[in-house]
Amino acid sequence: MSFLALSRSSIRQAFSPCLARGYAAKSSNTERVLNVSAKDTSAAEEKTLSSCPPGTILEGLNYLKGQPPVIALPDDEYPPWLWDLMKPKVYEDDGPGGKAEKKRLRRENQQRIKDQNFMKTQ
Amino acid sequence: MSKALKAKDQLVRILIPAGKAAPTPPVGPALGARGVKSMDFCKEFNARTAHIEPGVPTPTLITVEPDRTFSFITKTPPTTYLLKKTAGIEKGTGRPGHEVTGTISLKHVYEVAKIKAKDAHLKHLKLESIASTVVGTAKSLGLQVVP
Repeated sequence: MSFLALSRSSIRQAFSPCLARGYAAKSSNTERVLNVSAKDTSAAEEKTLSSCPPGTILEGLNYLKGQPPVIALPDDEYPPWLWDLMKPKVYEDDGPGGKAEKKRLRRENQQRIKDQNFMKTQ
Repeated sequence: MSKALKAKDQLVRILIPAGKAAPTPPVGPALGARGVKSMDFCKEFNARTAHIEPGVPTPTLITVEPDRTFSFITKTPPTTYLLKKTAGIEKGTGRPGHEVTGTISLKHVYEVAKIKAKDAHLKHLKLESIASTVVGTAKSLGLQVVP
């Protein structure tokens, strides 16, 4: 069987087109391989939102007896709001008397009081 | 004609290691002062927390009625305890915002929030809200939250 396979492969090599157009075929193949790998890595980099790779064991959270260790899941299995938790919350402008205005005024008033208190210590 | 005042129930909030309630202080005097037989309470508490790893601090709310009968509710472990265990730190900072004790991922925050969501007094909240409270607790411990 092996002798037949060898002979078949030798025949194929003799008649294959890639011997005739060796350089072009090779470069296209390598280009394709390079492009695909670049796309893969950039896609992979875009996809990982978390610094915690999936499969990391989150210790200390299995506080029940006989509970298996809690493992980090892949990023897609977490709800989308999780990735916006650390970003400052944006309130849409609902016009005068709206929620956004109330929050803004409260923050400004609190900051003003803090500044006044600080100036009193000087 | 005034009705006789009904004596009020007494509430005792105490943090007890799961499965390790004993009549000794701090549990003993806290309950004994209100007329509860500490041995009874300890047996019932240990039975109810048998499914939890021994030693995990369990906040309990004990209601002592005027006729000295008691009932109690156990809650999930404190958020600070859970965060310290995941981050691997012993204590939080004395200066939150200025000192950093460790780093935690949003995935850790999510899992802690999932545990806290089992509490009865939190079940009306969205998981997102609970997660933001966990982030606040992490900040007060000096833990840096990283995505």
